[in-house]
Amino acid sequence: MSFLIDKQTTEDLNLLGKFKPNAVFGMFNKVKTAGGERLLENWFRHPLTDADAINQRSAMFRQFGELGIDFPVSGASIEMMENYLNSGAPGNRFAAPLTVMGKRVAFTLGLNKDFRQFQASFHETIEVLNKLRSCFNGMADKHRDLLKGDLEDACKTLNLPELKWLKEEAGRKDLPLTSLIRYDNILRFHLREKMDQVLQAVSLLDGAIAVAHTAKERGFVYAHALPQEANCIRIDDCRHPGIKKAIGNSVTISHENNVIFLTGANMAGKSTFMKSFAIAVFLAHMGFPVAARSMEFSVRDGIYTSINVPDDLEQGFSHFYAEVRRVKMVAETVSSGKYMLVIFDELFKGTNVKDAFDATLSVTEAFAAYRKCSFIISTHIIEVASALDERCDNLQFVYLPTIMDGQVPKYTYRLQSGVTEDRHGMMIIENERIIDIIRKKKALTPQHIQ
Amino acid sequence: MSLIIDKQTLDDLNIFGKRDNDAVYAIFNRTYTRGGAGILEQFFRYPLADLHAIDARIRTIRFFLMHQTAFPFRGELFDAAESYLADTDERSRLSAQDNTLGRKFSQVIGADTSYQQLIKGIGSLIEVFILLKQFINSLDITVQDTPYAAAIKPIQEILLQRQFEPVLQEKVPIKIDYEKATVYDRLLRFVHITDVRKILDAVYTLDVYISVATVARSRGFVFPVPLPAEAHIMEIEGLYHPKLSKPVANDMAMRPDSNIVFLTGANMAGKSTFMKSLGIAVFLAHVGFPVPASRMRFSVCDGLLTTINLPDNLNMGYSHFYTEVLRVKKMAMELEHAKNLFIIFDELFRGTNVKDAYEATVAITSAFASQPNCMFVVSTHIMEAGEKLMEDCKNIQFVYLPTLMEGDKPVYPHKLEQGITSDRHGMVIINNEGILDILRNGKF
Repeated sequence: MSFLIDKQTTEDLNLLGKFKPNAVFGMFNKVKTAGGERLLENWFRHPLTDADAINQRSAMFRQFGELGIDFPVSGASIEMMENYLNSGAPGNRFAAPLTVMGKRVAFTLGLNKDFRQFQASFHETIEVLNKLRSCFNGMADKHRDLLKGDLEDACKTLNLPELKWLKEEAGRKDLPLTSLIRYDNILRFHLREKMDQVLQAVSLLDGAIAVAHTAKERGFVYAHALPQEANCIRIDDCRHPGIKKAIGNSVTISHENNVIFLTGANMAGKSTFMKSFAIAVFLAHMGFPVAARSMEFSVRDGIYTSINVPDDLEQGFSHFYAEVRRVKMVAETVSSGKYMLVIFDELFKGTNVKDAFDATLSVTEAFAAYRKCSFIISTHIIEVASALDERCDNLQFVYLPTIMDGQVPKYTYRLQSGVTEDRHGMMIIENERIIDIIRKKKALTPQHIQ
Repeated sequence: MSLIIDKQTLDDLNIFGKRDNDAVYAIFNRTYTRGGAGILEQFFRYPLADLHAIDARIRTIRFFLMHQTAFPFRGELFDAAESYLADTDERSRLSAQDNTLGRKFSQVIGADTSYQQLIKGIGSLIEVFILLKQFINSLDITVQDTPYAAAIKPIQEILLQRQFEPVLQEKVPIKIDYEKATVYDRLLRFVHITDVRKILDAVYTLDVYISVATVARSRGFVFPVPLPAEAHIMEIEGLYHPKLSKPVANDMAMRPDSNIVFLTGANMAGKSTFMKSLGIAVFLAHVGFPVPASRMRFSVCDGLLTTINLPDNLNMGYSHFYTEVLRVKKMAMELEHAKNLFIIFDELFRGTNVKDAYEATVAITSAFASQPNCMFVVSTHIMEAGEKLMEDCKNIQFVYLPTLMEGDKPVYPHKLEQGITSDRHGMVIINNEGILDILRNGKF
């Protein structure tokens, strides 16, 4: 079963997108080859829902990190090898030597330069394969258990007796035509399928090295996945991966306390905290490193967030109605008995206070009964908190404080437990001196006041 | 001097639109010529803030509406003429020395396409001249009472100049030989190009006037009556949104003693739509165009600023609330420079907590209320702010859009009423969607 996530969520968290600034994908996209990028994209599109699979993958990344190797060849060389292996694809093994010879003759006659190109890409391929073999053999020496699956197959292939000549001919730029034809036959026909496996292993190598590098560079750690029934997410020092010098917060959501009720003034960092948490959970489900000091989590069935719900005025939906529709969609999934992580930022902000109060109270209470799911809900309507506290026993109340430094509000971005009373909206308006600006006009044109 | 307006306002009112067909511009864009569409866009980009200019344009368009004038040209004449005039290269000029046997031969076998293009362009241009002269002569005598008479005067004078005499004596359909073509080519494309341009611009402007008059007639728009800025009056009867198929019309009057409008109403009651219609009418009135209403009188303003769909600027790290604060600040600064502003603010301060929103709404609205030369329309969910303002300020009028309940279903009449509403139907909507039922009956 695949991990549930939707467009609204990926956009809220800014997960995907190669060209979007600060997208999480871009943070890890340090791959060298097109195959590596495809694999990385595939990892992002399909997070895992099995604890063992997650732990295995994160173990692989961690081992690559410990190995500390760089990708052994350049992306351009891999591309050249791929082109070479796929060239003349429809030809059969008997026609191929004739084609090569034909090219040679044409080249001698000065008709075209195909042969030169062919020769160059062939030599490049030999070099790439040699480098890959020494890379894999090196891994086999240092980290035996890292060589599994595709990687192990590739390593075996490269050490086959049929490919012994690779080492012997290394560095030669002028193979005689007969050897050229013989080797070409081995690579493109005899071992064709094995070569495809090697290419797959190269993508994996590239992707894993990129992830491990990012983890090292940014100080990310690998999360430990628990079976779904454990129903717990514990993150120590959870930070936003895209913010430099981000401040970390530690959170635990468990079966007993499955709802976090978050309050705080404007700009205190509520949305950022929610995004950091959700990004960490998402990355953890891919087996990727997360921006935290340590993390363990039980596997979820999916993540839904509502952080920037746009109003859909083209369809005639007001902002409030857009929110209602979104809540309904989430309610349908939650009520089907799935283990979800659900995040609502500023629930029902598009309506009047009394409605927002009633709606937030009743919806939060109804959601909270689903102990399998974890919720983070933020609101401006602090009055809801006390009413909820009376009715439910599984809520944690936390807030992000604002400290007044004279007239200027300062934000610590550190979670504290409880409900805040901070309000600094008027302060911001006064700091911008708006009322003064409007009223000053009065003094300028006294003739209007009669 | 043109009206102060900004991109946010143009987007809110959907003046130009993302797609062509749903914009206000598209309603009026019935021009025959591409040049006319360009002039129309200029009119929309730079609305007027001058009483006389607005009045002149309104009277001109009304003249064409009353006489049901039809545009006397075919649109394709101008495509040919424009592409002909666009080539200002001296080397392409026809010259009498080139009239060789070889040229005649290639003309006979149809190989000389560039020459044919030139001939077509010259012919089209001459036809425009002739038709324009006929049109001006055929204009009703009452044109003398309109500002259009003065606007067309210089064009008439150009047409009377001696050098254009032979041109005007040609007969439609135009047939010219090579010798004549060389003379006309030099005359129209090189020597008197500025006059030719003036004439074409006059035709394009005429195109806009006539097409706007046609739109006004077919859609039943009326001409607003501009008043001096000092009057501070905005009266609109039967105002509706031009893009709705079955719009409900509303009346609205703002005077110096009621220059602030405080609008309340439940979700989906039509607050934003009403504010957009109002903004569009005020905008069109300042362009000097007919408006979707049954009657309108307005004091000319110096600026029109609206805030209906304010996007967050989260990339710059601004919260929604702070974006709103900056927007209000921008308006306040404009107010400092300009004399009379028309301001529309939908859902003031919805991005903050209740108490802040309440205090901020009261503070900002009463500050605007102290400015008699500014007209301010504000909507909010925080009806308590209305009660406080009712005590504090005398020049605020309170209106609301009601919601009626038919059993469980809310019905919206979209008709303004006086007062503040306490309608709340958020919970009804939530219950209608069955959210709580879904959650109660799920698998825990």
